[in-house]
Amino acid sequence: MSNLLAEIQEAVINGQAPKVKELTQAGLDAGQTPQEILNEGLIPAMKIVGEKFQKGEFYISEMMISARAMYAGLNLVKPLLIAQKTESKGKAIVGTVQGDLHDIGKNLVCMMMEGGGYEVIDLGVNITSEQFLEAVKEHSPDFVMMSALLTTTMESMAKVIQVLADNGLRDKVLIGIGGAPVTQRFADSIGADFYASDAGEAVSKANSLLLER
Amino acid sequence: MTMTPRERVMTALHRGEPDQIPWMENDIEEALQYEIMGRTDFTPPELCEKLGLSAFGAHYPTGEVSDGQGMVTKETYKESYYNPKKVTFDFFPPWIAKMGTDPATGRTYIEKGLLTSEDSLALFDEFLPDPHNPARYEKIAQWIKQYKGDYAVFARIRLGAASTLESMGLEEFSYAQMDNPELIQKVMGRFAEWSAAVVDHLNEMDFDFFWANDDLAGNHGPFMSPKVFRELMLPSMKIVADRIKKPWIFHSDGNLFPIMEDLLSLGMTAVHPIQPCAMDMGKMKQEYGGRVGIVGNIDLDYTLPLGTIDEVDAEVRKRIMTAGPGGGYIVSSANSLTDYCKLENVLAMSKAIKKYGKYPLDGGETNV
Repeated sequence: MSNLLAEIQEAVINGQAPKVKELTQAGLDAGQTPQEILNEGLIPAMKIVGEKFQKGEFYISEMMISARAMYAGLNLVKPLLIAQKTESKGKAIVGTVQGDLHDIGKNLVCMMMEGGGYEVIDLGVNITSEQFLEAVKEHSPDFVMMSALLTTTMESMAKVIQVLADNGLRDKVLIGIGGAPVTQRFADSIGADFYASDAGEAVSKANSLLLER
Repeated sequence: MTMTPRERVMTALHRGEPDQIPWMENDIEEALQYEIMGRTDFTPPELCEKLGLSAFGAHYPTGEVSDGQGMVTKETYKESYYNPKKVTFDFFPPWIAKMGTDPATGRTYIEKGLLTSEDSLALFDEFLPDPHNPARYEKIAQWIKQYKGDYAVFARIRLGAASTLESMGLEEFSYAQMDNPELIQKVMGRFAEWSAAVVDHLNEMDFDFFWANDDLAGNHGPFMSPKVFRELMLPSMKIVADRIKKPWIFHSDGNLFPIMEDLLSLGMTAVHPIQPCAMDMGKMKQEYGGRVGIVGNIDLDYTLPLGTIDEVDAEVRKRIMTAGPGGGYIVSSANSLTDYCKLENVLAMSKAIKKYGKYPLDGGETNV
């Protein structure tokens, strides 16, 4: 790995957005491909950030600061990747379920998934099962990821799975759920494909499932 | 000798052993209060008596229709703060935020914090009520006199952390740590200054204790690093804490273990709510029970809203047997009694506390 890519990684982990932007531009000017910057600079940096969070070395604020720095680079390479028609690793639609207006966890999942190389469609908060269904029809994602902070809104996750099944789309997507009251036991009980206790784990589980597919 | 509810609470808050472990709640959502009582014209002590609660504060549906907890920033906020129509004992500053309303339920929520720049600090003057305006204190003093009896009465306040996080928004709060840490200090400082002035008035009133609601943590730990908490937030919180002349409880959801020593430096009497999904009660009791009282720990993620009455009974017994020995424990839900708790489970909690909470603790063998 070049020094520049190592420096990009370090700047993302340290949350230095202007530096990441500067280094990314310098890399592109020097002939690094956007794929190299993404796959060997930005994505591994966010993987380390996720691991540090899981180990209790990083807190949510630091993860958000690193994500902002990652976007400073991603916003430069993304148009180039699109222009080259480079396919993303996979596509995820993400939303907080109906009745629930909390967005911190959902936003973190979006950030970490993008930082993990996925194309992310953020549906927002208070998303009905019909809205999830429409989004699946429109975007044909690999993943449907749902968040809930309230015990009462967790049941909406089961409803989304049911609506997808009723429309013959359940087997077309991998469904992941998370949020403070959500557990593996609950994920099993509603037939979700995976549960993640934090945004970093959401990415690592998505990666594993994609490989198994 | 049988203690009064107030004596039980004050004894347990100070880590002593009362005759019976008390129960109190930081908040009971009004829809659930209505469900429990079957009417809206009841008094706080009537609700306490019905459930077996030993303390009251927060807010009640009793009185005219008003703005609920008065957390919404809007034109009428100051007036509704000064002259509450419904019975309340809360002294919260408003969120300085753009509020949204869920059309399905009518509930308000914070759409976006507005304190995101130096210029935005001018909003403090626009939104914060005058902490010295006598109207609210006079009205609430009357309610305390009218309802107190043998119960402990608490005022809910904030030390500034939750107000700052919500009024800046977690993302802007995070970015400011890199870009402009002074902004965080200024926002914390303004909220703390306001709360400290309020506390000076509350110290002179007939409250038995204060309950400082300052959510700053999630299941994994605090939202910010311990270093940021220590440098940018704790000094302002300490300004308010040092002005408090009554016993007080610190409340934050989430896992507080990574900053527990910093928090304890504020000198609170007890900590609440020790969420079971984030903190282990055995560890809390063993490591900190000798230094601070413990309030809470009955699960709100599963047990109270979704569990059976047998599961409620078993959990209350387990908590009492873990945290009760030697005193210093007050039973409470792991946040508040929300309107999605099953009524039968709330009633089962009441029954189980009476069954298992009598000292000397024996797991209910003499009371079954």
